[in-house]
Amino acid sequence: MTEAYTYAVLYFLVFSFLLLLSGILLFEHKIGFSVNGVLDYYLGSEEAFTEKKSSLGILKTILPHFFAFGLFCMVLLHFLVFTKKQKLMQTKALVYLLFFSALLEITTPFLIINGYDFFAYIKLISFFVFQALVIYIAWLLFFSIAYE
Amino acid sequence: MKFTLIKDLKQDFLMKPILSGLLIFTLLYLIADVIVKNATIGIFFNDIAYNLFGNEEEFLDPMLQSVFLEFWHIEIFFIMMILLSLSAVYIRLSTMSTINLIILNTTLLSAILSLVSIVLSYFVWDSFLIVYVISFFLWHILSFYMALISLWNLHI
Repeated sequence: MTEAYTYAVLYFLVFSFLLLLSGILLFEHKIGFSVNGVLDYYLGSEEAFTEKKSSLGILKTILPHFFAFGLFCMVLLHFLVFTKKQKLMQTKALVYLLFFSALLEITTPFLIINGYDFFAYIKLISFFVFQALVIYIAWLLFFSIAYE
Repeated sequence: MKFTLIKDLKQDFLMKPILSGLLIFTLLYLIADVIVKNATIGIFFNDIAYNLFGNEEEFLDPMLQSVFLEFWHIEIFFIMMILLSLSAVYIRLSTMSTINLIILNTTLLSAILSLVSIVLSYFVWDSFLIVYVISFFLWHILSFYMALISLWNLHI
């Protein structure tokens, strides 16, 4: 049974990479990895003939993401309980960091459309931090399965 | 509240109906997924090619890249969550023989293959759609089987 669960976790990690990849492609295609790209996407751009996003429009986008991010983080992180790193403070810090970066990534558009342009930087940073943390946690899980 | 490990799910007063509900909903999802796909992007080669790449003769535009990427992103999330929960239940309720391990691996691999092949067919080479169609049906049929067997094992 343990062997079968190990396979299930490994496949979940592959799915997680695909999810990250699709998220990166989508972000690059719709917004772009620059501060101006983020500002243009949310505040509108005359050159691109796009309008400023409304609060309701952003809420409609982030509504399913609250559930999806929460569930994804929980499932990925709960596998850490089965590793030797479960009692380390660093592991606990990872849990807080992953949820916090996800929260920032989801909610910064609200601040951007309300005049806080600075949060375009935070949006980009939190996006990359989230991706990096998921990859790091996936590596920890893979290492635990393969070598511990 | 007291958290305990349940040794025998089949005999458990609460877990039996809870898992039955999950498995029935999974079966319904799999059926609905095929129906909805059939009505939207299609489930056979020609239909999918028609909707994905458009048709010059009928002045049909190809699917926008942003629409395709959103579709792919959502598909990955749903498939990973459904197959993770289904495989966890299947592992718990079945004896893990070699054949069951092969079924589990084939299901998950074909699901990954379907996701990779559809993105390759959109961006690289449309013939990957054949791989997508085969792997799409394979993971649906095997997941359906896994859910049915789990239900059967839960109730006998």
